[in-house]
Amino acid sequence: MTDWNAMTDAEFRKEVRQFFEAEYPEELRHLPHRPKFAEIEHWHRKLHAKGWVAPAWPTEYGGMGLNAAKLLIFYEEQQRWGVNRGRDMGVQMVGPLIIKFGTQDQKDYWLPRILSCDDIWCQGYSEPGAGSDLANLRTRAEIDGDDFVINGQKIWTTMAHDATHIFMLVRTDPDAPKKQQGISFLLAPMDQPGVDVRTIKTLSGETEFCEVFFDDARTPRENLVGELNKGWTMAKALLSFERIFIGSPSLAQNALGQLESFARGRGAFDDPVFRDRFAQAALDVEDHAALYARFADQLKRGETLGADVSMLKIWVTECFQRITELMIEAAGPDGGSIGPLQVGNVSVDVLASFYKARPTTIYGGSNEIQRNILSKAVLGLPG
Amino acid sequence: MTQTDILSSEQEDLRLLRESARTLFERAGGSDRARKLRDAGGGFDAEMVRELAEAGVFGVAVPEDQGGLGMGLAAAGIIAEEVGRVIAPEPVVLTIGLSLGLLRRLCPDHPKVPQLISGETVLAVAWQERGPGGAPADATCRYADGKLTGAKAWVAGAAGSQGFLVVTQGDDGQVLVLVEANADGFVINKRAQADGSSLGELSFSGTPAAELASGRAVQDALAEAVVDATALAAAELVGLSERAFEITLDYIKTREQFDKPIGSFQVIQHRAVDLHVMCEVAQAGVGEALAQMDGETDPKIRARLASRAKSRAVTAAKKITRDAIQLHGAVGYTDEFDIGLYLNRALVLSAWLGDDAYHRRIWFEAREAEGAAQ
Repeated sequence: MTDWNAMTDAEFRKEVRQFFEAEYPEELRHLPHRPKFAEIEHWHRKLHAKGWVAPAWPTEYGGMGLNAAKLLIFYEEQQRWGVNRGRDMGVQMVGPLIIKFGTQDQKDYWLPRILSCDDIWCQGYSEPGAGSDLANLRTRAEIDGDDFVINGQKIWTTMAHDATHIFMLVRTDPDAPKKQQGISFLLAPMDQPGVDVRTIKTLSGETEFCEVFFDDARTPRENLVGELNKGWTMAKALLSFERIFIGSPSLAQNALGQLESFARGRGAFDDPVFRDRFAQAALDVEDHAALYARFADQLKRGETLGADVSMLKIWVTECFQRITELMIEAAGPDGGSIGPLQVGNVSVDVLASFYKARPTTIYGGSNEIQRNILSKAVLGLPG
Repeated sequence: MTQTDILSSEQEDLRLLRESARTLFERAGGSDRARKLRDAGGGFDAEMVRELAEAGVFGVAVPEDQGGLGMGLAAAGIIAEEVGRVIAPEPVVLTIGLSLGLLRRLCPDHPKVPQLISGETVLAVAWQERGPGGAPADATCRYADGKLTGAKAWVAGAAGSQGFLVVTQGDDGQVLVLVEANADGFVINKRAQADGSSLGELSFSGTPAAELASGRAVQDALAEAVVDATALAAAELVGLSERAFEITLDYIKTREQFDKPIGSFQVIQHRAVDLHVMCEVAQAGVGEALAQMDGETDPKIRARLASRAKSRAVTAAKKITRDAIQLHGAVGYTDEFDIGLYLNRALVLSAWLGDDAYHRRIWFEAREAEGAAQ
């Protein structure tokens, strides 16, 4: 088995880049929507055969065993080439949790099925009354014989209509003194009478989000991961790497590249006001990348990232939004048109980019929540 | 040594450099010293110049074989940041970037080079001119037969300089000449600046001047010296912004209204976070630009990087110092609080050598030119 971590960064980057460029289907590059599994199944099979489905997992569980530095390179290359992440909730969220907190039986059963996509996972965290205040969640799970019985509602469940299983945070002790206590991490099958999925149509007309209703749905007791009532701390422990990934410059860099070719084709650079705003956006992206590199270097030196990494997400998502807004400006009277606009040999879907940028300041901890975190944990402000 | 070892030993050198510059300024009285010097009528402290020289500050970017430390622009940037933190009025960026920048490129063996490095002398550099409408215009000031006639404007550091390096038109293209401060037929008008310093408006009428260099090399060296000084001014603004933010953060933690520190209100917290993020982005962006300039020889790319640095630093410093006044409330508008000194210094440093809008334009044009060349 290849020890990827023994390679130099440059060698590894080359290897990853070559594989993506040679094998990733052209028509799936920079997909503007989240695909259903069937749409990317062929690519997933290739990735699975190569053993590259789970770059962060230890090799003993079928992962690539990449260290933080190599992992960052892997994701950078993935985003650079516009490689879709696929249906990676299992790999990104459930797998690591089972690896860290699961029993041997759980590992043996679930992990291979995640890699092969025999099971396709969705994440049941948010609820109508528990968004930014996630610990306020109310969906109940009660023990009944060998099962948990689940009642309640999840929302913003990405691609739940194309998932076979859901991993969820549920309230197992409503009397716990703090609301962060009494929450457990549970796995449940979707294909059962007590689970009802309804898609939510978004502003962009896509249906990637769902509501999931639980009405006496059941899951076996052995599907509890970790200790009962300890789900909150476990779920939080997983977020540290995600926080730099979510602040990576790629989305904004790709959008800037699109903006530039589009604006050039449209002659928008003839306007000095547009030139200045483009320069502002481009410098915002460039200087963000410099800041990102500092955090990435910390990871490469083996240091753990502090709460200050949240600033990457704030800056880059807001910058991404400004870039997509400039695209609309450059489109002039086509600024409200749905679908790709052809400019010379480039085709740019202006509205798709605009819509794609909107939720980035909401998901993954809204930018307001990120500001709260920085204010308390980094600046030490009271209250 | 491996590459990583070399890198980390360079990092260590830079850390030590920062520490010694900081200690030196703090021992001298930090930003209080800047206030005292301003109240005493502007200008800088000659003793401080000598101390800085002793610490190797002025020769930091001069190659070792020319009597400097040869540590490059990134190291000079670290010193400039420390200057910015205490808003020190000493001509650090002026000397490293402009006067030594010109002399070491055009006449490295000139006796003024070691004198500048050792702090024995301070020279201001004059090259810009005002047109009839007051805005910058082409040079009309002439040098011929050892004499200078005409005017120069926006000369930083004119107040305390023993001499002036003037770049202007000679018989055969551009020349670099040296004028003594007490030369005949030489008048300096000081235009007062927001921070207590002044910019010199120089007029020469048959003023004796010594020619140091001439020809195309002068134009190139001036352009490169200005580019270096621009990047260092950016670093100075980064240090200034950093300290202005720290002062503000301390203030909102202690100032109480409605029985709580105002820093416990979310609207204040979020504004503070935005300033902090702005500051970190500026530090990273400017730091990267200076480091890349050290590894780059193409003057066009170096100029683009300097413009990137200055536009970012000015954007950040403007936002941070202005919001800092707002977060201080009414006392921020008084002269008594230090935060105003930072705002005033930021105004001067932003306007000097081009502000953010100017440098975004230069940056964009450079980027377009590079794209077209490929």
